[in-house]
Amino acid sequence: MIHKILTTIGPWGPLLFGVGFLAPLIAQIIERAGATPPLGLAPLMVGLIVGPALGLAAKLRGRWI
Amino acid sequence: MNINATPMNVSEMNDRELARAELTIARKYTDRFSWFMAIWWALNLTCWLSLWPLTLMGLLPLWAAFTIALFNVMLCYLPSHEAQHSNFAKSGDRLRWLNELIGYTSTIPMVLPFKIARLTHMEHHTHTNDPELDPDFGIKADNWVQAILTTIKRRQPGQPNSYGLTLAQLGDNPVVKRAGLEGLIQTLAFWVILSAFAWSGYAIEVALIWWLPRYVGTTYIGLMLSWAPHHPMTEQGRYRNTRYFKATFGNVVAMGMEHHIVHHLHPGIPLNWNGVAFEEMRPILEARGCRMEAF
Repeated sequence: MIHKILTTIGPWGPLLFGVGFLAPLIAQIIERAGATPPLGLAPLMVGLIVGPALGLAAKLRGRWI
Repeated sequence: MNINATPMNVSEMNDRELARAELTIARKYTDRFSWFMAIWWALNLTCWLSLWPLTLMGLLPLWAAFTIALFNVMLCYLPSHEAQHSNFAKSGDRLRWLNELIGYTSTIPMVLPFKIARLTHMEHHTHTNDPELDPDFGIKADNWVQAILTTIKRRQPGQPNSYGLTLAQLGDNPVVKRAGLEGLIQTLAFWVILSAFAWSGYAIEVALIWWLPRYVGTTYIGLMLSWAPHHPMTEQGRYRNTRYFKATFGNVVAMGMEHHIVHHLHPGIPLNWNGVAFEEMRPILEARGCRMEAF
């Protein structure tokens, strides 16, 4: 069971991390910095675009950096 | 302070006499309850837990919380390490519950599941510097900068998990299964808690109290506890797989690892007595051809 959970969720870890943690983190950094996102986007929308994109890139490349 | 130190002429001793003299010294320090390590655990964990309300209520600035949390993570492993060796209390002892409590809770800041830590650490002791069987062998590097880069590389999503591989090698038995299940629950709980705080508006706080200190702190722990005492990881055998090293930056910064060879020879000696035991054993260890180096 453990193996099944790990092999099912594990590969998607970076994407889940992007949605679950990076998205709100990016949004809150933008808000606290008092920055205005381009194209009239809300900070959370920026987070939800950038966070999962970084996670997906990490999943596809096999590395964050 | 060493206990009943006695001068000895090791040059006239044979193997058996050396072993007996080493064991005599070790027995003086083995299986003594280490209040030092127990207090270390209590203070460190309490300090880290108190960061949460203090930071979330705005009573502690984030930079201070991050700095303290970083130290908390770096300091959280060693009390658990004592518990992994059952140095607070053996199985069946009256204080066994305390040993297990320290083991389970000490490493919460670095999210290291206790049962997995114990199983893999015993494998490290049994197979130190074995490229195939030592779960800590992956940190092998030519110098400390490379060791840090190697640690970062090992954490990337595409890299195999050495502890997971060790559990797989240990086979399909109830102890390993239980360790795997506990590890899975604890790791998932970490990510769920992290996400819950982040989506509740505390992403920066949780990043600076837990996520980032965990990342940096575990890198430091790997450098000081895995790389430095075993470098260059080319030799196996009781007296050659771990070295004494004189840390130019001091033994406190090295987290007591200067005398890690004593730990490998006699894991039942608590960390705070490794130094005095080493000084007493030094002539024996030199006669055994142990490595005495600098870092």
